[in-house]
Formats: sequence, C-alpha cells, structure tokens
Amino acid sequence: MTVIKHFCDWLAATALSQLFQDLKWFVPMVQTIHILSVALVLTSMGLLDAKLLGFSRQAPSLDSLASTFMPWIWRALGILLTTGTLLTITEPSRELLNSAFRAKMLMVATMAALLRMVQLRLQRDTSYWERSPQRRMAARAVGACGLCLAAGIIVAGRWIAYI
Amino acid sequence: MDLHQACEWLQNLDFPTDVREGSWLFPTIETVHVLALVTVVGYTLLIDLRLVGLANRHRRVTDLTRQCLPVIWSAFAVAAVAGSLMFSSKAVTYFGNPPFRLKMACLALAGLNMAWFHLTTYRRVDAWDEGVPPTAARVAGAVSLMLWTVIVGAGRWVGYTT
Repeated sequence: MTVIKHFCDWLAATALSQLFQDLKWFVPMVQTIHILSVALVLTSMGLLDAKLLGFSRQAPSLDSLASTFMPWIWRALGILLTTGTLLTITEPSRELLNSAFRAKMLMVATMAALLRMVQLRLQRDTSYWERSPQRRMAARAVGACGLCLAAGIIVAGRWIAYI
Repeated sequence: MDLHQACEWLQNLDFPTDVREGSWLFPTIETVHVLALVTVVGYTLLIDLRLVGLANRHRRVTDLTRQCLPVIWSAFAVAAVAGSLMFSSKAVTYFGNPPFRLKMACLALAGLNMAWFHLTTYRRVDAWDEGVPPTAARVAGAVSLMLWTVIVGAGRWVGYTT
C-alpha cells in the first residue's frame, strides 16, 4: 500500500500532472470523451450480448454483428485506456488508492478477455456459438456476464468519486 | 411565485432534502442517471453515425431505428426522472448554473432536430433506406452528434461548477 501511495505522490508532483491539474477544463473535458466512448462500447456490446442471449433472433447474424462492432469496441477501448490514463496522471490518489477504481479495472479486464474469447471463437468458426445446445447455453452465460460487467463497470466508475 | 421561488419551494420538499443531505442517495440516483444516459447517447450515436455515413452503412435505416428507438426512449425516461430528482435536490443552484442551462438548451435543440427530421426527411425513408441518406438526413445526424457531445460535456461540467 505504501509503495502505491509513494508512487501516487511522485506522479502527482511530476510536471505533466501539475500541468493537467492547473488546467481547470482538463478533467471535465477528458471525462466527456471518456463517457462518450463508454456509450459507444456499451451500445456495441449491448447489441452483441443481446444476440448471444438470444433476445434478437432476426438478422443480422452474430458473426456479422461482431465484424461490424468489434473494431468499434476495440477502438473505443483504446480511447478509454488513453483518457483513463490521463485522468489517473492528473489525480493519481483519487484513482489508484480507490477500491471502486480497482473493482472497475478488474471488471474491465474480465470484460475485455471475454470479448476477445467470443471474437476468436467466431473467427475460427462463424457459427461457433450455435453449434450445439451446450454452446448456446455458453453463449447465453457469456452474454449475461457481459451485460452485468458493463453495468458494474459504470456503477464502480461513478462511485470512484464518492469512496 | 417566480421561478426562483419555485426552485426554493421544490428543493425544500422532503425527498429533495433527503437527496441533498443524505450520503448515498445522490450518488445512487446519479449512477442510475449515468447508466441511462450512456444508453441514450450510445444508441443515438448508432443512428447518427449511420445517417452521416460513418458506420453500419449496409444496414437498413428503418431496421436500425426499429431496434434503437424503443431502447432510447425507455432509457431517456429513466435518465429524465433521475435527472429531475438530482435537479430538485439543489434546484436554486442548478437553475442558475450556466452549464446546466446550456445542457437543457441543447436537449431542447436535439429534440427539435429529431422532430424536424422525423416529420420531413424520414417520411421519404423508403427512397434511401438501404443507400446513402440525403443531405438533409446527413445534416440532421451531424447536428445530433454535435448536440449530444455538448450535452454530455455540459452535464459533466455542471458537476465542477456547483
């Protein structure tokens, strides 16, 4: 814990962090980009998860949805990582010492791993998730986990400000 | 009773007072607001990006709107209720806050933009459902993208100026 605390103090004292802290508009502006990217990821993932859960049976197929939305998801996740890093550089202790932040990061990592797993299976076999009743069950479980993780990430993200 | 007095009356009601003075009520309502607003913005972006021609170009516009609009309206209702509760807790402060006013003005403009689009260009959607939207539709999409960006930005700014 003290190592992280020292790191936060060091980071907050760097010229870059000081520069960001002095710009009053910096945090709200970066947060705005962060929220817009969250909206993009959440919507794209929501459509994929609804398909995995079997809520939307009509076209387009899971494979075609994934090839449309996965690139957007990874791009938006890249923006989220960048804006999140900028926010952490500006206020290190607010993020790194915060249990809501840690829970959020854990959920983000799990969600990204889950998405990659779905994408890799689809790349090998476009009907992978429909091949058997077991696979369809697994698809539903993955879809439900994805939605819960997305909601959890947003809840934890907002509570960083209050914990 | 003028608007300022109305705001005072509103924020002194029981529930707004609880929201203001309690420790967990405001963050909880705010979390619901954020969950709902990212849904509204996300699904709206999806339609706007299709109109502008940046994404989903091969999907029918009517398929996309049929799928997205029910989600957008449900989530908007939740965001509006949660937002009103947050507003009621510090009505006087929010009412006088410039970013809050900017946000409300842009929300109204986004509503007008959508209404105008639906009453004009969207009526002839059959002609361009699968293809490139006409200029008026692309403009409506671009205006919506800009307004929602300002709405999110101004909304975030409210938290730093109240």
